[in-house]
Amino acid sequence: MDLAFIWTTFLRLIAALQVTLSVWALSVFFGAFIAAGVTWMRGSGVKPIEWIARAYIFVFRGAPLLVQLFVVYYGLSSFPVVRASIFWPFLRDAFNCATLSCALCTAAYQSEIFRGALAGVPHGQVEAARACGMSGFLLFRRVIFPIALRQALPAYSTEVISMVKATALVSLVTLWDVMSVALKIRNDTLVTYTPLLIAGAIYFVVNYLIARAFIFIEQWLSPHLRARSV
Amino acid sequence: MTALGFGERGWGPALLYGAVMTVFVSIAGLAIGAALGSLVAWSKLSGVRIAAAFGEGYAAIFRGLPELLVVYFVYFGSSAALTGLYHLLDGQGFLGVPGFAAGALAVGVISGSYQAEVFRGAFLAIAKGELEAARAVGMSRWLSFRRIIGPQVLRFALPGLGNLWQVALKDSSLISVTGLSELMRTSQIAAGSTHQPFTFYVAGGALYLAITSISDRVFEFAEARATRGMRREAH
Amino acid sequence: MPESESYALTVSGLHKRFGSLEVLKGVSLLAREGDVISILGSSGSGKSTLLRCINLLETPDEGVVTVAGETILMRKTRDGRALPADRRQVDRIRSELGMVFQNFNLWSHMTILENLIEAPIHVQKRPRAECVEEARALLDKVGIGDKANFYPTHLSGGQQQRAAIARALAMRPKVMLFDEPTSALDPELVGEVLRVMRSLADEGRTMLIVTHEMGFARDVSDRIIFLHQGLVEDEGPPAELFSNSKSERFRQFIANERS
Repeated sequence: MDLAFIWTTFLRLIAALQVTLSVWALSVFFGAFIAAGVTWMRGSGVKPIEWIARAYIFVFRGAPLLVQLFVVYYGLSSFPVVRASIFWPFLRDAFNCATLSCALCTAAYQSEIFRGALAGVPHGQVEAARACGMSGFLLFRRVIFPIALRQALPAYSTEVISMVKATALVSLVTLWDVMSVALKIRNDTLVTYTPLLIAGAIYFVVNYLIARAFIFIEQWLSPHLRARSV
Repeated sequence: MTALGFGERGWGPALLYGAVMTVFVSIAGLAIGAALGSLVAWSKLSGVRIAAAFGEGYAAIFRGLPELLVVYFVYFGSSAALTGLYHLLDGQGFLGVPGFAAGALAVGVISGSYQAEVFRGAFLAIAKGELEAARAVGMSRWLSFRRIIGPQVLRFALPGLGNLWQVALKDSSLISVTGLSELMRTSQIAAGSTHQPFTFYVAGGALYLAITSISDRVFEFAEARATRGMRREAH
Repeated sequence: MPESESYALTVSGLHKRFGSLEVLKGVSLLAREGDVISILGSSGSGKSTLLRCINLLETPDEGVVTVAGETILMRKTRDGRALPADRRQVDRIRSELGMVFQNFNLWSHMTILENLIEAPIHVQKRPRAECVEEARALLDKVGIGDKANFYPTHLSGGQQQRAAIARALAMRPKVMLFDEPTSALDPELVGEVLRVMRSLADEGRTMLIVTHEMGFARDVSDRIIFLHQGLVEDEGPPAELFSNSKSERFRQFIANERS
């Protein structure tokens, strides 16, 4: 085992981690906003709008992310119309396409998480708030959202970690993330296991840290669920 | 549009063939996952600390790794292992593991780590009393498993398995990197050949969605049949 | 028609349908300031629905509700459904009515103190310091002053319900509505809640109480209303009603409840 090789591989992969984490963070962040919109549409009560939201969720949760990535990156750029449009400077960049595609995908999953969390808010507590004269945005801000947020955390944590793993796919649309750099090292040096193992370790540690962070957040937000120290 | 069709230069048949391949490799993956998952679930339930630790380790590792990485690892690794074996037997050159086997194994190994939890939960959901009744009647451990526990675990596990099936289906698209002619790879080849990427990737996506919808129906039917006569959980 | 202004609460001709089932078939009541009115009836008689129509947690299909002289404005939609005409009015009137629920419905992510000051600060827009001071006084009054920083899940059922009563009081309500406040409590915890309610009645609060506690209803109420299948079967002072009600059904009802 060549320690120098392990070390240089590790450094190169860490450098590529920036791409992985950028795609991940941006797609989760923007995906949350898209998801909020989709969840709102889903619960709007207006049938055509609801239907659009349900179709969105069906497509972006049902089709593999790889297909979605390829449609956005390879598919959209094949249209002269797109290439001539104002979106082209944005869409011609692989990073943007990949992030957009990942955001659209995670939005569908996040939307279902939001929906479940909102449905799980105890109806009685909402009624009590209404009975005090709360309504509209105040009701949402002070009662519905805080409770739903706490309910959503476990599932949200899982989805966020799934997205870290999903970013490995951007290696297949020409981005130099951890996955593609690991493969390149393998191709160049013909050493198979070391780069892949180190890449795996890096992903594993990142996911572990994210999971711990969520556990911390959950505990911080839920003193009401912990046993009371008498 | 003719490119999609079934005519002489149409890619329709190839895509459908790819879809069938996707279904088969996903089933194979799910089956391997079921075997691994049951093993891990059993190890956790058995109370043997070392076995449980192995089980937990396996689950933790494969839930923390990107699926694509696992596919590459299994593909390269199994080929290397096979070649090594081949060389031991005085073979020359390189033996590659077929994409189907490597792909199914990769999907299976990942799926198994999640199926373990599904089976464990399903087992724990079976009323303890039923197990005791089986033993009280004198059933051996194997018999009580086969006749009482086994069928019921399946009933409770179906919803979770339905979900994991959908996951396996989507993960199978990653097997395309091994060159296996499943749906993703076929779409890719067609897109490249016809220079109509949008059409063929959307078509591929549509086929995945079709498989998903049909699977949903199948699982709904299976769940309805399996839960005949079961008491509904208190709401 | 009596002058609405002199009444704390008037309800006239309330109808409420759920689908094809008519739960309230024309119920009216008057409450002067300081009245304690117990609403009795078997399940399905519409007692909870009546209460919930007053603060519009259910929307009455017909009828008029007036709180402290202000009538709740209603309108009809195109397909004939009734809706409140002015949502702000509804919010305002709700803030003048205090409701205590069977299942307490304390907000689980807030401490008891935070539960009490939430609506006074955010709905009534009162200064925080004033709300906190008043809240602490109310918690002392209902006997759980030391639990201000606890979360609802750490309290017993009786303590939670007393906190819920304090929360309703914190809004300085004109009328208090109690929807079976002790029905979800273990028997040994019922007493502490009834004691609090009795002291509120003694203070002269206007209270509408839906309850199954016969003894309490008889001892504490100024008036009893007996509902049967959506209509008022009988009403009057407890002494009168419990000894010789003109309603056969009521006499049947108290006989059943006693056993």
